Amino acid sequence: MSRHDQRSTRLRHRPSRAVPALIAGIFLLAAGAALVWLSVTRLVNGSWPTVLQGPSDWLAGLVWNDPAVWQIGTAAIVAGVILLLCAIIPGQYSALTVDDSGTGVGDEAPPVEEQETVMTRRAVAHLAKARCVQIDGVGSASATATTGRVHVNVTTSLHEPGDLRQRITDAVRARLEETGLSPVPQVTATVRSRD
Amino acid sequence: MRQTAGTLNRIWLTILGILFLAAGTALLLQASGTLQTLLNTAPAWQSVVTGDLRAFLAPTGVAAVVLIIGAIIGILGLLWIIAQIPRRNSAGAYRLHEDGSQGFTLCDPSVLAAAVEKQINTLPGVVSSAALLRGSANAPELTLQVTVNDRADVRDVIHRIQTTTLPELSSALEAPLQSSRLQIDISGRTQSTGTVVRSTGTVVY
Repeated sequence: MSRHDQRSTRLRHRPSRAVPALIAGIFLLAAGAALVWLSVTRLVNGSWPTVLQGPSDWLAGLVWNDPAVWQIGTAAIVAGVILLLCAIIPGQYSALTVDDSGTGVGDEAPPVEEQETVMTRRAVAHLAKARCVQIDGVGSASATATTGRVHVNVTTSLHEPGDLRQRITDAVRARLEETGLSPVPQVTATVRSRD
Repeated sequence: MRQTAGTLNRIWLTILGILFLAAGTALLLQASGTLQTLLNTAPAWQSVVTGDLRAFLAPTGVAAVVLIIGAIIGILGLLWIIAQIPRRNSAGAYRLHEDGSQGFTLCDPSVLAAAVEKQINTLPGVVSSAALLRGSANAPELTLQVTVNDRADVRDVIHRIQTTTLPELSSALEAPLQSSRLQIDISGRTQSTGTVVRSTGTVVY
């Protein structure tokens, strides 16, 4: 069910949906184990476990337009929609592409048929934060990055931040550009004065 | 570096989603009596179980069928859970020469990966690296994870890897690389190997 072909896959990928898959897998395993236990008990003892008595009595008295049937049907539709949304919603890429085409200028091209260079979103955020704290007037900084946008939260001890916000966005954008991110994400900043 | 079961998860989530959606819709249509009008099924006021449930479940064959169905569902669930473990999916031994009359030459890809890591760790700004080789000796595929410090010249690191590490690996294997995938991470730590100059002091203008 998983890859054993010893081939590499792209580093820039969408989320793997591991959490919904794990939940669904646990439900399947539990359902399978329950069925196996019930049938093995029936085969060994010659009768179905008494725990089935209640559900079978309930099922015997159930009619199609019973409210319970409506509830089960609605629950199944909701579960189906959630599962489909988990599968269909693409999610964000795990990393940003770095343009490596210009790095070998003047040198012989590397002997590689397919090349991919990426930087993780966490790394981009770390890079932006590191550049921020080098700017005069910045007290502390934190950054978040998506594939298209980098946002920096800065705390300053300056009473009048002035053009600090502009200097931060320019410096971070320049750092991301010189790193080779392609396309360069939009940089935004929030500056708060420390009281 | 490690590979996850993204495609597998999407396929199974879609299949289960469609099954649940179809079952739920059919149940609601049956409960409302619409399905009876369309497909002439049982009327909505009728009991869900029309026959004797005990008599139906009594034969041993029914228990055997339930056992098989339960085992299949359980095994599928277990395999799906196991598939969530990220895998290295690394290559087996590279067969550099396989002329049976003159002997075999095998090379463990982890040895080459260690050499690649050692070389990259000496590059300026590199904190650590991890290399993984996949594919075969004739079509090697390299995946690299390089962690640099936050002041490193990332383009220079990429340039050095492309102009020294990759050609040397290709030369060692006597084959062009099928693919090279490089993931750059940033760390606040300083370089642990190579030449690192730490400077502190006061600049007086």
